[in-house]
Amino acid sequence: MTGQEKKKKGGFFQAVKEFVYGVAAHDSARFAMKTRASMEHLFILITMGDMLGVPILPPYYSLRLLPYVVPQISTWKRRMLREKDFTDALA
Amino acid sequence: MIDIPLADIFDKFPDRRYIMFGGKGGLGKTTFSAATAYYLAKKGKKVLVFSVDPQASLTDIFKKDIFGKGPTEIMPNLYAQEIDADRRVKEYQQEIRQKIFDMYGMDKIPEEVESYIQAAAAEPAMEESAIFDEVVDIVIKGGYDYYIYDLVPLGHALYYLSMASVYDAWIDKITGLREQMREYDQVAAVMKREKELDEDAILNELLYIKDRINKSSSILTDKQKTAFFFVITAEEMIIKDTLKAAELFAKFDVPLSGYIINRVLPVGLRDQNIPEYLKNRLTMEEHYLKVIDATFGKQILASVPEMERDVTGLSMIEKMAKAMFG
Repeated sequence: MTGQEKKKKGGFFQAVKEFVYGVAAHDSARFAMKTRASMEHLFILITMGDMLGVPILPPYYSLRLLPYVVPQISTWKRRMLREKDFTDALA
Repeated sequence: MIDIPLADIFDKFPDRRYIMFGGKGGLGKTTFSAATAYYLAKKGKKVLVFSVDPQASLTDIFKKDIFGKGPTEIMPNLYAQEIDADRRVKEYQQEIRQKIFDMYGMDKIPEEVESYIQAAAAEPAMEESAIFDEVVDIVIKGGYDYYIYDLVPLGHALYYLSMASVYDAWIDKITGLREQMREYDQVAAVMKREKELDEDAILNELLYIKDRINKSSSILTDKQKTAFFFVITAEEMIIKDTLKAAELFAKFDVPLSGYIINRVLPVGLRDQNIPEYLKNRLTMEEHYLKVIDATFGKQILASVPEMERDVTGLSMIEKMAKAMFG
């Protein structure tokens, strides 16, 4: 975790800064990142859709994007293919 | 019948440097492309005629194997090129794999990614897109006075055109989504007091794709620089299909320069002692030539006779050029 490393170096002010961040902004930041992650999955769906059998972008150009989404592909497939149930509300 | 001869179009509009012949399969698009290239080269213009069709036939018409060999000189000023789509796709796949290796330091492509790369290459649109993409390279590179596209049959040509406009709208949308994603990144970064964001490589890639597609579609629809000719013959189906296609092309803003009638039976034929079958053909043709005249009128630029043999080799191409341009 980069946060912990910084803590050692930054000392008191860093601690205050992180405390303020934690109280005021952490939730919003988390929300922004969660929204961002959903959008990332949506993005992969509309570019790499044919991996699930939904052809959308002509493959010549979708291949150009493939290298960038390699790390996300397995989580994305899981997310797109799984059934929805009540535990989603907790996620 | 012909108000403006074909040659006049080339004299009057010297800026129209991208020349295309469209029409149904087998009507003579390749023949006209080759003959026009010959005519312009003889006039001292440097011409590249290239095939946009995976089933290209320039090799046959010039009687010279040019497939996948880049621009090949046929005679002074005349160059011809047939794109090896298959090889281009393979090279492109390898490029993608290499990029994944470089980006993640993997020694093997993950299985589902590899199978996607393979499946994508097997798509029927892949070859066409690869050729389309190479055409952009050819045109950007420059070096010729004229570029003559030996086009694919109508359906495919329409597909190209619609592909360009659909791609364009589509890429606008996902670029928008990508930009929105970046805003969320920024929000998170500001709140966490992180410094500069990394560049969004995907966004850059999308903008690159958009640029490539725009370039190729802008050539097809550039009224100043492009001349598009329809090839027709005096047959009912051909006339009807061409009319439909012309409407669709107009929707995609293709600048239509006019129509050329191919395979008109020689005039003197009727006076000779010919069998009933040929007489019927002649009567039918006369009828449909009238229909063509009434339908396309002043847009008819040339009427080219049926040759006594196949148009292959330079001497037949020369003959064809004479018939087209006088």
